Amino acid sequence: MDSEECIICQLVDGKIPTKDIYEDDDVLVVLDFNGANLGHSFVIPKEHYPILEKLPNHLVAKLFNVANKVSSAIFETIGCSGTNIFVANGIPAGQRIAHFMIHVIPRSQNDGINLGWKPKQLNEEEMSTIELKLKEEIDKLGFGSSGTEKQSQSIKETQKTNFISSLGDEEDYFTKQLRRIP
Amino acid sequence: MQQQLSKEELEALQEKIKNMSPEELKEFQKKQCIFCQIIAGKIQSRRVYEDDKCIAILDINPANPGHILLLPKEHYSIMPQIPEDEVSHLFVVVKTLSNAILKALDAKGTNIIIANGIAAGQKAQHFMVHIIPRKKKDGIRFEIPQNKQSEDELEEVRKGLCSSLGTRNKPGREDQLSKVQKILQSKKDKQEKTDKSKEKSTKKTKKKQGAESKESLDVSLDDITKIIDLK
Repeated sequence: MDSEECIICQLVDGKIPTKDIYEDDDVLVVLDFNGANLGHSFVIPKEHYPILEKLPNHLVAKLFNVANKVSSAIFETIGCSGTNIFVANGIPAGQRIAHFMIHVIPRSQNDGINLGWKPKQLNEEEMSTIELKLKEEIDKLGFGSSGTEKQSQSIKETQKTNFISSLGDEEDYFTKQLRRIP
Repeated sequence: MQQQLSKEELEALQEKIKNMSPEELKEFQKKQCIFCQIIAGKIQSRRVYEDDKCIAILDINPANPGHILLLPKEHYSIMPQIPEDEVSHLFVVVKTLSNAILKALDAKGTNIIIANGIAAGQKAQHFMVHIIPRKKKDGIRFEIPQNKQSEDELEEVRKGLCSSLGTRNKPGREDQLSKVQKILQSKKDKQEKTDKSKEKSTKKTKKKQGAESKESLDVSLDDITKIIDLK
């Protein structure tokens, strides 16, 4: 298994102690020992998937539904005034461990967390180019204008094959990152 | 985004809102909601995806070029209000949009961010999912500080969350595993010592992550290489 060395897989296997708050066949939710705020939780698929694009659709649906429930439970028990659901997908996005996870973070005013950004200025032409590129790609992925079951099945298949072709770049990138660590 | 109201008008409006039934309030919010108007086509937007349940538009104040907002067509203010099947649908769409960003815009990652409540950074009354393309050194700096949480507080919160989630309150994995923990910790300490000397030339931030991130990178590459081999 590729997951042997993954710290999250070890955690799922019970080799590392956790404060788990929810568990079923596919999903484990644990509290972060070093959370940004008390109650900061990770929603983790038990199976090893490095990034969102690799997860099967049914698991994507399940994980985010669990995250939503955890978020509600945090509202109920911690009495915070907000929650963030946050995913870092890929190293430039801040992903540190190659096992997909969803952060659920309780929030209060001035708690030192910053998920904001300074807006970038783009002109109309740049926006149009991006719009066009994205639309084309989404069409290629097989997402028609109406998302019926049959279509989403074909999306699944399309994504599989398309993603493999896109991994060329990805591999370069991950390799480069790796080489930077002696 | 909001109209200017006089003090009297504002007070009258607040009084009106107070007396509304939940249904009326929802209808009122919808009318006021700029994103409901975008969905209805009354305000122009750049739509990159649409189906019967949701639309995806380009953010006009993007964190990075290609920043997408995914909106359910129904007006919900926060995520806990959204029914399960709709959450499922929305996030399968999120996956596809993120995938499209990676490929079409040559991004090397994406952030998916949801803010529930003003304290979490929510700025509009309409629930939305941000999907932000990421590249190295793109100027975005999210800060999620790490704070050592006390054992007692963690255990208390765990119990609270377990009962709220209806999870069977197990004694906790850590009890049965305290022995394993000690062994692992001593191993980890050793590992960190050796890693520290190895990592002298890497950035300070990388050091913090230590052994963990190094392992994870290996895994990620292995995984990706396997797929490429299949080709």
